[in-house]
Amino acid sequence: MTNVADQIAARSGEAPAAQEDAAGGPKSQRKSPLIFKLSVIWLVFLVVVTVLGKIFGESLPLLVDPNERNADKIAAGPSWSNLMGNATFGQDILSQVVEGAWISLFVGLSVTLVGILVGGAMGLIAGYYRGKIDAMVRLVINVTLSIPALLLVIFIVTIRGQELFWVIAALSLLAIPAIARIVRASALQVADREYVKAAEVLGVKKSVILFREVLPNVLPSMLSFAFLTTGIVIVVEGTLSFLGLSVKPPTITWGKIIAEGQIKIDETPHMVIMPSLVIFLTVLSLNFVGDQLLKRYDIKEAGIG
Amino acid sequence: MISLAVLTALVALIALIVKAAGWRFALKRFAGALLVLVIVTFGVSVLLRFASADEDVQKALESLDVSPNAQPCVTALGTGATKEAVDACVEDRGLDDGPVQQYLSWVNQIVFEQDLGYAYYKNQEPLSEVIQQRLPRTAWLFLYSQLLALFLAIPLGIWSAYQAGRSGRTRIPLWLLPIGVVVLVLLGVFGGLMLSSVVFLGIIVPSVVFHLFRGGADADSATNFLAFALLSIPVFVLGVTLRYVFAIERDVFQLTGYEPWSEGAWNHLSSVWLPALVLGLAATPVYLRLLRADMIQNLQQDFVSVAKAKGMSNTHILLRHVLRPSTVTLITVLGLNIAQLVNGAIVVEYIFDFDGMGSFLLESFARREFFAVQTVVALVAVVFILTNTLIDVLYTAVDPRVTAGDDR
Repeated sequence: MTNVADQIAARSGEAPAAQEDAAGGPKSQRKSPLIFKLSVIWLVFLVVVTVLGKIFGESLPLLVDPNERNADKIAAGPSWSNLMGNATFGQDILSQVVEGAWISLFVGLSVTLVGILVGGAMGLIAGYYRGKIDAMVRLVINVTLSIPALLLVIFIVTIRGQELFWVIAALSLLAIPAIARIVRASALQVADREYVKAAEVLGVKKSVILFREVLPNVLPSMLSFAFLTTGIVIVVEGTLSFLGLSVKPPTITWGKIIAEGQIKIDETPHMVIMPSLVIFLTVLSLNFVGDQLLKRYDIKEAGIG
Repeated sequence: MISLAVLTALVALIALIVKAAGWRFALKRFAGALLVLVIVTFGVSVLLRFASADEDVQKALESLDVSPNAQPCVTALGTGATKEAVDACVEDRGLDDGPVQQYLSWVNQIVFEQDLGYAYYKNQEPLSEVIQQRLPRTAWLFLYSQLLALFLAIPLGIWSAYQAGRSGRTRIPLWLLPIGVVVLVLLGVFGGLMLSSVVFLGIIVPSVVFHLFRGGADADSATNFLAFALLSIPVFVLGVTLRYVFAIERDVFQLTGYEPWSEGAWNHLSSVWLPALVLGLAATPVYLRLLRADMIQNLQQDFVSVAKAKGMSNTHILLRHVLRPSTVTLITVLGLNIAQLVNGAIVVEYIFDFDGMGSFLLESFARREFFAVQTVVALVAVVFILTNTLIDVLYTAVDPRVTAGDDR
């Protein structure tokens, strides 16, 4: 986890240099690195706080036991001792949000990892080898696209039980075809390039070309789509737990805090606003980072469903 | 009657497409669509079988002298179900049959006997009645939300693409922005607004609007930022927030439920506008970003230079020459968005207590009424696949540059 964060942080340093190359470009390109940096800072901050909160828990300042009920502060607004205010039974919302971030990030990152490994492999092979494999992968993509993703996830979670493993498995089913579709498209593009053709003419084995020519050139766009996918997965996980269908209580998730706050929203608006703001900032940052990386590697913009 | 009308319309449409795009292509696409359709429905049917795959449950059921696969029937019938009723249900659903057999009898029931089964197995309430009652609500919701999204996305997209390569109007000086922001923030603070509202109404909205009016590349960035921000707000967050702002804090929207057109246009529209707004805002950035990217590409084409050299006005070029090819892309995405819309509808209808298909699906899940879910999911898939195949084939008919063999 920190590895990815380090990588992003390292890349953000290169941002101005890379942008100066495109000095002739429109004005908007010069401005984006600031937002990019802010996004990276927020993501690193979130990961660090989540990990620290997981390890040290209540010994950190401002954090208390997220399930501890404080009768004096029922539904109290934000204050200096409780930065995000208190929940319906006086629990500290900041501690709950930090605790909930663990599930969101864990689900988001593991689903993306599975998606990249499985979907990436599918798309890569389909896009380079074409033929029958490609037809099959396209069929899988088309089939999964025609079922509303949320329905499929709800279906699996209801049938198999609301456990972390099944939530991740169900969301992976959503991420795999999406990533496969994008990786396939860019593998198709790369396979048309001169250096791939040259390697083929020279008689290099196809599997070697796949790993040494195609994969490295698809990897950047794959990585930037990993950020976008993580954002989408976090949103879907939030939706799921908002509907009460994600991991069972007492595990705290962002969606669950919002769902609880929504019941008496006129008394506890901060219970909805604070976690919503955290989700919004996280997804926005992931989108900005992913988009910026996409632009950096000059891959044609494409949608992800 | 209705199915006959639909069938005739479909045949007429297919004939039209075949005439425009050629036999082989249309046949190829429709065969592909049929294959996807069969796989989707079969997959859903097989998934349902997993519901009764728990070994402990199977043993318990066997000790009660009913079929070990009867789990879905037992949950659908609820407490107080007799053994005969469970047996009849197992027989009816073919739960003891193999997956293929079960699937075929299900398809046979829907396609040839035109019986969608029950929405509530216990009350024997037919699904077709529930759909007849609830589908119009969701359909109106979809229609309004998409109209709203296009209404927002098309002008913004055109403006953004048009301004991307231009410099701003300098006669609107830049120093107006900070002054305006300070004034609005002060107004907000002394007007007693919440901090988040002050940030939103006093800083973000005027900044975006200011840059939009000023034009230039900053207008493009502002629209981009807007699109990204909208894209990053989960539908449920947007729904809960807008419900709080418009229905709870103020009484702008009444949470009284859906009113049909027969109750009067005003009643109808005022009962759906907020959910439609939420769904529409969620769909806007998708169209906006796509339209912008597509139009920027079109603007670099030779025909734009030719039109400009001929002395055509910018407005004419933008609307007639650049927007026109982009509408085809927009329609394609509109088709692809159907599945996405169902996701949104589930959430929005849940938040607003809107009794449409989305909340019906959610209720069915909660009651473990998987038979109904299976049928509705299959119907959604049918609509999705048919619409997209039609759009795909029409696309080829409209734009000859896309050939039948182009799978990218």
